[in-house]
Amino acid sequence: MRPLLSIKDLYVRVAGREVLKGINLELLPGEVHAIMGPNGSGKSTLSQVLAGRESYEVTGGQVLFDGKDLLALPAEERAAAGVFMAFQYPVEIPGVGNLHFLRTALNAQRRGRGLEELDAMDFMQLAREKSKLVQLDQAFMQRSVNEGFSGGEKKRNEIFQMAVLEPKLAILDETDSGLDIDALRVVAGGINALRSTERSMLVITHYQRLLDYVVPDKVSVLAGGRIVKTGGRELAKELEQKGYAWLGEAARAVEARA
Amino acid sequence: MTETGLRHYLELTERFQAERSASAPEWLRAFRREGTEQLARQGFPTSKHEEWKYTQVGPLVSQAFAPVRTVHEADVQEAVARHALPGPGPRLVFVDGWFVRELSLLGGVPAGLTVRSLREALPEEGEALTEVLGRRGRAEESPFTALNAALLEEGALVRVAPGTVCAEPVQLLFLTLERRETPVLSSPRVLVMAGESSELTLVESYGAVGPGVSFTNAVTEAVLGAGAHLTHLKVQAEAETAYHVGGLHVEQGRDSRFASHLVSLGGALARNEVHTVFAAEGGECTLHGLYVGHGSQHLDHYTRLDHAHPRCSSSELYKGVLDDKARGTFHGRVLVRPDAQHTDARQSNRNLLLSEGAMADARPQMEILADDVKCSHGATVGRLDEQALFYLRARGIPRAEAERLLTHAFASEVVGAVPLAALRDQVETLLALKLPGAGEIRV
Ligand SMILES: Nc1ncnc2c1ncn2[C@@H]1O[C@H](COP(=O)(O)OP(=O)(O)O)[C@@H](O)[C@H]1O
Ligand SMILES: [Mg+2]
Repeated sequence: MRPLLSIKDLYVRVAGREVLKGINLELLPGEVHAIMGPNGSGKSTLSQVLAGRESYEVTGGQVLFDGKDLLALPAEERAAAGVFMAFQYPVEIPGVGNLHFLRTALNAQRRGRGLEELDAMDFMQLAREKSKLVQLDQAFMQRSVNEGFSGGEKKRNEIFQMAVLEPKLAILDETDSGLDIDALRVVAGGINALRSTERSMLVITHYQRLLDYVVPDKVSVLAGGRIVKTGGRELAKELEQKGYAWLGEAARAVEARA
Repeated sequence: MTETGLRHYLELTERFQAERSASAPEWLRAFRREGTEQLARQGFPTSKHEEWKYTQVGPLVSQAFAPVRTVHEADVQEAVARHALPGPGPRLVFVDGWFVRELSLLGGVPAGLTVRSLREALPEEGEALTEVLGRRGRAEESPFTALNAALLEEGALVRVAPGTVCAEPVQLLFLTLERRETPVLSSPRVLVMAGESSELTLVESYGAVGPGVSFTNAVTEAVLGAGAHLTHLKVQAEAETAYHVGGLHVEQGRDSRFASHLVSLGGALARNEVHTVFAAEGGECTLHGLYVGHGSQHLDHYTRLDHAHPRCSSSELYKGVLDDKARGTFHGRVLVRPDAQHTDARQSNRNLLLSEGAMADARPQMEILADDVKCSHGATVGRLDEQALFYLRARGIPRAEAERLLTHAFASEVVGAVPLAALRDQVETLLALKLPGAGEIRV
């Protein structure tokens, strides 16, 4: 099977510093691949680069999405092609209504795919249905994007957007951080409901807690800008017991090779 | 250049006054003459004038603008329809500064409300008008107010009797015709007398019937009795080749509430001044402004808010959106006098620059002479938020559309506060036409 996403030897520089130092990763259609790693290891950098943030400079390597050169596309075209990144820190946008924003986004993507735009009525119905997945109250839809939302509400709003946009690839950057256990269950429930053979996910997390609910097919560990270990779901458990320090040796070994 | 310009205007006012000397009563002749004298004494401002630091009036003064008695053609209807608010009125329509009865809606005026052409009101009301005329819009304080006084003839009188609550807004619609031969000068004067505990919403709309070079020099004066509520909305949507100078002068009685919402979109050069004075305790004043400029437009704002009495509160927010080589200026003065204890005053000016060549001057200024007060002020000049832009693009919204959405969101804080849905919709439509990019955006 051809991978949906294929990252080859990716190097990325941020603010003059090399943050990603040769990432290799393949994601098959329908696969859920967890990426774990300590703070500062480059998880968000990887997410942002895949989503198309220009301030992160790719200095080497290649990313193929659906066989196409992903890095050649601007962010909006990546989204239209089916890439969705749930932000670790969703942005507050005062004055832009949440629903209006999402309808504009969905219709821009549909235009990009040559589909007809949804009118306000049809969109409302779709949004209402999808909001149930993460139990996001109607009141949030009318408010400005993320403005005054609690941490948990912001994360639920991200998953709600994913539900409406139905991407082929979802990159979830620490969607579990800042959630209490009830909110985590709700968010994980939403993510699981969106799992399908048509959709791959990169689930990025610092803790393995989320992976109790969203069970991955594979787990990779990112440390010091490199993937230092890849395994099955049991790797997450092992990390929980031993902590990231246990990987010190593996990380250093990669460092020495570079 | 300004000397020749000044001579033109002085001669113009003298001719104007001579033509009317037989018909005008002595007090009116004196009022106009005082206008000419004040204009001669002050001259037109240069950039050396503290209050005109950012704005050169040269192009405005050097052209031979003159009042023109209008014969208007059919296509005025279309512009009226475009700018008129729905509803029963009342609505007074002026073309090139002249009241046009056939285009106006004078029915449905509730008891206690007077709305009429100033030219018609002058002979009947007589000197009693000076209760508000010249009371706060004083010729000695500005050459443009002086010019308006020297040419005083037309405008509107709006009087609300004590206790009268007007459910429907009053609209004054000023249209300028496209004109090639004579650059037209109109000098409307609006007088508002809001009696004790009365309530009124007054809309002044300025629009153009096609492009053209014109000069509107408008003065509005309002006096609010104790407990009166007056909301003043002004939409300046003149041609982008037009010149517009507008002064709004307000005196607030005890416990009165005044709000001004200004939207300035048109004009090659537009200057809007708002002056308010608390003449007694307990008043509330809100000043909102939005200016959106592109091309080489110059949109200038000067406000002066005088806390002359204790226990009054004021809140001011002006926002500017500037593209291309447009320049927006805001100079807002808040004066808190020594006796004005328990003053609550907030002032903010925020500007969004959409291009390298656009420019904003932000000058918030508070002079606080009382000690037991709550005051804050601030100003920003910035660009679109990159984080927000990326968030929108990462969801599939193309850059240009995302920029437009954010720009609209920036403006919506002021537009959203306009307390009249029909006018809000009108402003939204005007904005949609003006903001960069095309297509319909609704926030
Ligand atoms: N915008 C940025 N400017 C400067 N340094 C950055 C920026 N983004 C990330 N970094 C740096 O890159 C490294 C990786 O950060 P990040 O990708 O956010 O890690 P993680 O998400 O794994 O915690 C850190 O050392 C961080 O300080
Ligand atoms: Mg991170």
